[in-house]
Amino acid sequence: MFIIMNCFDLHVHSAFSGGESSLEQLAETAKQLGYSGICFVFYYQDEKQKDILLAEVERIGKKTGIETYLGFEARSLKELNFLAKKRKSFDILLARGGELELNRAACETPEVDVLTHPEYLRNDSGLDHVCVKLAAKNGVAVEMNFREITIASKSTRSKVLANIARNIRLVKKYHAPVVLCSGAISHWELKDPECLMSMAVQLGLELKDAKKSVSEIPRKIIEKVKERRGKKWVMPGVRVVK
Amino acid sequence: MGDAGSEGGQMKDRLKILPPSLREKERYVKFKVLSEEPINYSDLEAAVWNIFLDFHGEVGVSGLSLWLIKNRWDGRNQTGVVKCNNMSVQKVVAGLGVISRLGDSRVIFKILKVSGTIKGLK
Repeated sequence: MFIIMNCFDLHVHSAFSGGESSLEQLAETAKQLGYSGICFVFYYQDEKQKDILLAEVERIGKKTGIETYLGFEARSLKELNFLAKKRKSFDILLARGGELELNRAACETPEVDVLTHPEYLRNDSGLDHVCVKLAAKNGVAVEMNFREITIASKSTRSKVLANIARNIRLVKKYHAPVVLCSGAISHWELKDPECLMSMAVQLGLELKDAKKSVSEIPRKIIEKVKERRGKKWVMPGVRVVK
Repeated sequence: MGDAGSEGGQMKDRLKILPPSLREKERYVKFKVLSEEPINYSDLEAAVWNIFLDFHGEVGVSGLSLWLIKNRWDGRNQTGVVKCNNMSVQKVVAGLGVISRLGDSRVIFKILKVSGTIKGLK
């Protein structure tokens, strides 16, 4: 049916960031499920912690044979601004959605790669058409987080699904990028990419767009990251030509 | 004297087989269960039906033509086959993805293959 190559999960927490599993367990399981790469997400503490994590993530990548990336998730506006300034020194910048102010700021910041679960702990979807337009303009991907769905049940799950479906409707309308992530905090919470895609299809995404959301769009984000870490990159939209 | 359609004095308890154009197109989804502990079939069956009824609802599940094929469950490799119609493969795969526990064990479903025939799954 839809066997796809080069799938990425850009939002995985490990024991270093409030999760339960080690980096190795996560990488091994992701490999078993057919992922080409995953991004381990951490909360920034200091430079020393960042350097240790960078080395560890690289070591795990070499050991397990899949691409591994270091991501930091900003939990407040202050943290977001701080990490945006340090953008060149790590791979992926995520902003933890949920607060309207942070959702909006993340959509306005071109340094942000992924806005995670914008509907987190909310009764509404956390995004309006203005935010989604900004996300499309600045290339900020809106995440559909599978964990939000699996940990909820009954009426809460139906509300979460409705909120995600609303975000998908807006994202489709304004052509903003979407990424499908497991949001796992344990290696038992990782999901087969096909399950992620099928869930997105249930929530209103077209199958071809769902495929892009687990493969092409994360790949583009990673390429952008590589470009950003190159010597020619100065800031979003500015790079040294000669 | 026998009536039309009767056999040995009793009515045949079988419907006529529908012509191919009217039959539902089937799909078989082969999956593997990655789990903390080995899973048995009865736990799997209970979890699949419970989750599907929870997630898709009774009317939703009625439209899936869902069937977990018992004799295709391989306890050693922890692989199984679920049958559905061709219009509901995405719903079935999404439903399998929602299952995070079987009994006391945490699980992940890995979709191995989708085929129109059981033979095609090999």
